[in-house]
Amino acid sequence: MKVSLKIAAAVLSGMPLFAHDMWIRPTTFSPETGEIVGVRLLVGQNFLGDPIPRDSGLIRQFFVQDAAERKPLVGRDGSNPAGYLRVATPGLLVIGYHSNPSPMDLPAEKFNQYLKDEGLDGIAALRARRNETAAGVHELFSRCAKSLVLSGSPDKAQGDRALGFPLELVAERNPYANRAGEDLPIRLTYENRSLAGALVIAMNRQNPSEKMTARTGKDGRVHFRLGREGMWLIKSVHMVPAPAGTNAEWASYWASLTFELK
Amino acid sequence: MMRMFRTPAIVLFCGVVAYAHEIGTTRVSAVLHEDRTYGIEIVTDAVTLAEKLDGSPGGDFAGKFLQRVKIAFDGQSVRPAVGYSEAAGAVATIRLTGQIPPDAREFTWAYGWTFASYAMTVRGSASAPAVTQWLEGNQSSAPFAVTAPAPPADRVRTAWRYLLLGFTHIMPNGLDHMLFVLGIYLLSYRVRSLLWQVSAFTVAHSITLGLSMYGVVTLRPSIVEPLIALSIAYVAIENVFLAELKPWRIALVFSFGLLHGLGFAGALKDLALPRSEFVTALLTFNLGVEAGQLAVIAAAFLLVGWHFSDRSWYRGRIVVPVSALIACTAVYWTVQRLSS
Repeated sequence: MKVSLKIAAAVLSGMPLFAHDMWIRPTTFSPETGEIVGVRLLVGQNFLGDPIPRDSGLIRQFFVQDAAERKPLVGRDGSNPAGYLRVATPGLLVIGYHSNPSPMDLPAEKFNQYLKDEGLDGIAALRARRNETAAGVHELFSRCAKSLVLSGSPDKAQGDRALGFPLELVAERNPYANRAGEDLPIRLTYENRSLAGALVIAMNRQNPSEKMTARTGKDGRVHFRLGREGMWLIKSVHMVPAPAGTNAEWASYWASLTFELK
Repeated sequence: MMRMFRTPAIVLFCGVVAYAHEIGTTRVSAVLHEDRTYGIEIVTDAVTLAEKLDGSPGGDFAGKFLQRVKIAFDGQSVRPAVGYSEAAGAVATIRLTGQIPPDAREFTWAYGWTFASYAMTVRGSASAPAVTQWLEGNQSSAPFAVTAPAPPADRVRTAWRYLLLGFTHIMPNGLDHMLFVLGIYLLSYRVRSLLWQVSAFTVAHSITLGLSMYGVVTLRPSIVEPLIALSIAYVAIENVFLAELKPWRIALVFSFGLLHGLGFAGALKDLALPRSEFVTALLTFNLGVEAGQLAVIAAAFLLVGWHFSDRSWYRGRIVVPVSALIACTAVYWTVQRLSS
């Protein structure tokens, strides 16, 4: 596993038409017990995004998991924030959003660039071997977004939980209990198994163009030292051949994990 | 493994590559007005727009915002005036306005301040049906046709057309107005009597026709039409009992003329006056009505007045029976119009 620091090019110089991240931004990452928290879904890049109103046709799972139970986030179609939760007890809450797959058609040039940006080198190599580099694609993409919200004091014993999403980032230590600069191990799983060799990107909202990138090891882990305070977004994309009968060549899964360090 | 796939409402347009993303909160609507101006309204989330603008170089709001907006007519970009307002709930509305270049045929649009899909609706005028395209951020729309301005109306043709419409509204289509004029004619064969009555009627109906067309006076047809019928009955009945012009008759004809003017206005409104030639159409329609009335009088004069008005039996055999017949018809119309 190798950790590197990459300075992105101009943030807004070319908002592309593809490869947008989705992340969860709650109205607060540190609610009081009993507080109602709005959960916004944002689509964009480099922490600049657009809110996506609730769309029941897109939602496969949208819930909050605390130490005791899993509860669906309430909301009505078209509302923004897309969901609301009430903090019942103090502790770490894990918010999860898993979307149904959506189709997307991309010309070859844009698809190749997207593979490069998201570190999907294996797919690019496979396409090259099959002489498909010049071909446009039909793709299905699914969102697997998570957010960690802390009510009350941090507790090292409380941590992130695996929610069972197809592609999932799991913080193996409670980031709220981590000290600044302390190592945060994150495990990436695909269908509940460790995913090796995948690009994972971490960025801070205060300076999203300054990205930390790492490839997962054999155990599916990356380690980031998140020195900066503020909201963090960890993200990764995985792509597999689309299931037969879907009229698509590729299926992509977009995992994200957000939390806010103080 | 995968459940049923949802297909977002993304419309594919020929020549435009479509990408299906999540649908955001941004909405764009454009109106290409007939007076060759355009207005574009962008409704979007104020907070996320401000975040994007903060990270963007440039001067004031308009300068920054327009960096990622492209309005083009026939491929040529134009720079609009920019207005901004914010409503409760942090919803921003940005209004872009400007002139459509002369002879422009196509309008295209691109908006780079969103990452999500959004609907772009375009109307040819504020009341015209909307055409909608679903677009992604930065994606250029397919061209929208700019409606060619209506050719300027030919004033002479408009005048002639409305003159004829006014005439035919009396003869042959306006039997009630014809009977009213006939009632006026039958009172007395003296030219002075006829002139006073026709003048009063003409001035009166011109007044209410004009006022009603400008929206100053309005009265429902369900009230106007029975009253018109009643006015015909009154004039005809009075002819049976009166052989001379009396001052109150002129006053009554004037007030009846006011009613008939409202009736003419109802007919004229149904014809949808051209906005650019409103005055011409109004004046020539009124002239046509006058011509129609004079034609009724001329026909009556030629048929009976010229030969028989100086005969001793003229009143007994022509004026009274014809007036009675007109009165009966008008009473019937009054009842009919009231009941319908």
